[in-house]
Amino acid sequence: MTVELGHFAVVIALVLSVVGISTPMIGLKSRNGTWVVVGRRAVIAAFVMLTIGMATLFYAYLTEDYTVKYVAATSNSKLPIFYKIAGLWGGHEGSLLLWAWILSLYCMLAVIIHWKSQPVVMPYLIMIESIILCGFLLLILFLSNPFERNFPAPLDGRDLNPLLQDPAMVVHPPLLYVGYVGLSIPFAFAMAALFSGRLGEEWIKATQRWTVFSWMALTLGIGMGGFWAYYELGWGGYWGWDPVENAAFMPWLVTTAFLHSTMVQEKRKMFKVWNLFLSILAFSLSLIGMFLVRSGVLSSVHSFAADPGRGIFILGFLVFMLLLSFGTLILRSGKLRSTVKLESMVSRESIFLVNNLFFLVALATVFVGTLYPLLMEVLELQKVSVGAPYYNAVFMPVALGLIFLMGVGPYIPWRKSTPTNIKKLFVRPLLIAVGALPLIYIFGVQKPYALAGLSVVIFVLSMITMDFNKVATFWAKRQKVNRGQGLVEAYKSNPRRISGIIIHLGVIILVIGVIFSSMYQAEKILIMKPGEEVTIKSFRFRMASLYSVEGINWGGKEALFDVYEGGEIIAQMNPQKRFYTVSQTPTTETAIYQLRMGHLFVTIPEVAPDGTWARVRILHNPLVTWVWAGGVLMAIGAFMNILRKTRRKRSPASESTGMLPEVTQKVAADVTAGAVQQTR
Amino acid sequence: MKQPLRRILLILMTLMLSIIPQTVIAQTESLPPDLAMADDSLQEKLREVSRTLRCAVCQSETIWESNATLAIQMRDIVMERLIAGESPDEIRAYFVSRYGDYIVFKPRFRGLNLLLWGGPFILLSIGGFMLFRNLRKWTRPSPKADIGADDEDLRPIDEKQRKRIEEELRSLR
Amino acid sequence: MKSISAWHIFLLLGLFGLFFIFYQGLWGDPSALPPVIIKEPAPDFSAPELYEKENIVLSEHLGKVVVLNFWASWCQECKLEHKFLLALNKHYEDNTDFVMYGVNYQDEDRLAKAYLKQYGNNFEHVVDLKGKISIDYGVYGVPETFVIDKKGVIRHKHIGPIMGDVYSDIIKTKIDPLLAEGATSS
Repeated sequence: MTVELGHFAVVIALVLSVVGISTPMIGLKSRNGTWVVVGRRAVIAAFVMLTIGMATLFYAYLTEDYTVKYVAATSNSKLPIFYKIAGLWGGHEGSLLLWAWILSLYCMLAVIIHWKSQPVVMPYLIMIESIILCGFLLLILFLSNPFERNFPAPLDGRDLNPLLQDPAMVVHPPLLYVGYVGLSIPFAFAMAALFSGRLGEEWIKATQRWTVFSWMALTLGIGMGGFWAYYELGWGGYWGWDPVENAAFMPWLVTTAFLHSTMVQEKRKMFKVWNLFLSILAFSLSLIGMFLVRSGVLSSVHSFAADPGRGIFILGFLVFMLLLSFGTLILRSGKLRSTVKLESMVSRESIFLVNNLFFLVALATVFVGTLYPLLMEVLELQKVSVGAPYYNAVFMPVALGLIFLMGVGPYIPWRKSTPTNIKKLFVRPLLIAVGALPLIYIFGVQKPYALAGLSVVIFVLSMITMDFNKVATFWAKRQKVNRGQGLVEAYKSNPRRISGIIIHLGVIILVIGVIFSSMYQAEKILIMKPGEEVTIKSFRFRMASLYSVEGINWGGKEALFDVYEGGEIIAQMNPQKRFYTVSQTPTTETAIYQLRMGHLFVTIPEVAPDGTWARVRILHNPLVTWVWAGGVLMAIGAFMNILRKTRRKRSPASESTGMLPEVTQKVAADVTAGAVQQTR
Repeated sequence: MKQPLRRILLILMTLMLSIIPQTVIAQTESLPPDLAMADDSLQEKLREVSRTLRCAVCQSETIWESNATLAIQMRDIVMERLIAGESPDEIRAYFVSRYGDYIVFKPRFRGLNLLLWGGPFILLSIGGFMLFRNLRKWTRPSPKADIGADDEDLRPIDEKQRKRIEEELRSLR
Repeated sequence: MKSISAWHIFLLLGLFGLFFIFYQGLWGDPSALPPVIIKEPAPDFSAPELYEKENIVLSEHLGKVVVLNFWASWCQECKLEHKFLLALNKHYEDNTDFVMYGVNYQDEDRLAKAYLKQYGNNFEHVVDLKGKISIDYGVYGVPETFVIDKKGVIRHKHIGPIMGDVYSDIIKTKIDPLLAEGATSS
């Protein structure tokens, strides 16, 4: 009966979320702080309840309790224990519960961390997060209940989808959810700022790390998903512009834009409405993404299983949240005609604006590309598919513009720059980039797209190197250490800048990986019999043999390839075609051999029933490891940003946080009490 | 004189190529046309075409990526047509005539689709223009002094309010 | 204070447009494809019969109404419609202007024969070895059924099993009128 306990705990969590919505409201109205304390307790209790709910489900997985419908659908007694646990997020219902649990964890942490420093925000934060939680719990309890029993119970579970039986897939969904849900914190702070009318820089400073953390999780989650697709789906690519991928990519784009534009507000107190808009948009997109993925409006043949009631509920929730947030933005930002004042057209402020323009156009590209088929369907026109050719033609130029800006923005001074310092800054890197063109051309890179990409990359790289060099020398001289330590000193003195540039460096590495692995990929699909050979670039593949293999819960065929380069054998590779007996699904297991930071990649998507021939896909993916190396470096940069020590002096931040703490607190309290009155 | 002759020979050879594997298959039944027979340039073309065609039974995968039976069969048909000398566009047109626009991942440049292809660039230019105009406006020196935007958050509070607030804050702890 | 700016209106219009598309999208079936090759000449084929290994050639049946049913032994819905297919063929048994073929799709001969043995059979089946016929007809799943008129033009396509109302409808409104039509252009 443990699952019933979990079910009951989640019901209580729903009640607690209603408490979390109502008590801060009452508190604001009656101007009585005790109510907010009740809200805080409700938030913590809801987290405990959801944890119990999760724990009982885990228990059901581990004890192989297949009377629970959801457990039976996503697990099997033969599964390794690792995948039994991952079964929880292997389907719609459980992954929603995970989502709700992460949400309540975030909410609790935010309440505890900011309780003292952000008293104004607390009632609103509790309220907004509880509204979201309430929506999710209603969806879980009434339309996608993972605790539902199943009588008579099946003898064994139907098995976790074999495609998900993979280490990367175990961590990929939680990471993405941590990213999506984390965006609710800046969202809630932005809403709090709107409601309370305290529209300064406070909310942005308070949520900066939350945003960076969510961004990091999204980056890692998307990267992990790409990595999984790369070797599990077996077609040698990591990004397919699939609606589900786009759903994760869109919040990422907006969050990235947001992280950039908030810097302008922090330094120059401009673009307040814009930042509020971006933070609301980022979270809205993660909700829209959820709708697209879970309602079945976009997926193709797999969609008939989707429950229309579910889609309607999610849409209703989405409409409510979007109207609430954007409506508040429209109604409350009217008084915020913040005086924008720029000294020069060529300044870091204006480059940030151009950066935001490019990010939003990039978002529009992905958004329109994802929804266009749906639009055509609704308009009852000819059905269309939008895929890689579209994104390559439309998204890539915009992305190239963004990469170019990475070499400009961080190095242009704030406020104003003169022609002489522009010349001093950019002439050399530009010359290097242009000068390198004939060299890379001779080296063998001759496709125009690749040349354009690489010259931009070289420009940015030389900007970064020159800057790092300058900074390192400066700090080395000042602290009398060597230049490597100088860089460390630089990080200590301005961690946000250095970590930001490290993220840029990660992007550059990723882009180089993408350019080479997509444009210089060599690939063949052919039928091979044992003993036959095929040549790709300088590699010779010989299929030595083709034989049967068995696993714990699958059977299948395996091929043995000898790979030669220049007459010498360099590797042996064993791709497999598996058939999972319980779920009756075939999978293709990739064989990958890493070589000079690229991959040799072999799969056998089809094997003749009599085992005499196999259809073979062979690829050489040059520099493909750079894609993930870049992603990891981006995450490291983000992590360095989060771990930094908060500076107390010499930064404009101190103007509001460090300065006269009692006054700020009093103002805060004033607003807490007065805001409700103000809104009337 | 030499050119046309060579051409005819080539056509004859490709014709034979396209006929022989088919007839062989019709007899042996289980062996698909051996794609390895095709040269590298054909493989390159096959890849180019296949990567724009949707596998009708898959979830947004191209027939190049997908390992579904239908995708494999469609790929074979693409190959056969390439060997027969059809151009990539002709092959795409064939699939569109059977399955509709849905089957190609590259919406055609016509009608509403033009907005899809051009939209982002239009947006970029409109946005760029508006940004430029606003930047010019913002950079023009205005007679009004720069007002600290934070000021509006700092409304003065009187002594009475202050006391009440302090009490409330205490009660929050 | 509360001045309405252009961006307010754009934002709200965009939001409501989005909601509208999403709401409408919920009722659409993303997997349903509009039939494309209706009113087009039926692609000809010449392929072996399942048992005889003799080729069936579609163009030889010009002047007759042809029903093509794409099926497979692994297809669950095909089992539902099978007895209706048998009845359909029986219904037109004496009509020399009617002919019906099954097209066995992505299947193995052995399994297909076992299927027919189990569920019964009274018409001939074409083996679609390489999926060529199916792709020529724009088939993306089974069962799908095509009705071709006497001039060799595809007049009707049905996706999904033929049973119940669909069965009587296909006889009355699809096949009968076509049988009544002349073979030459009127």
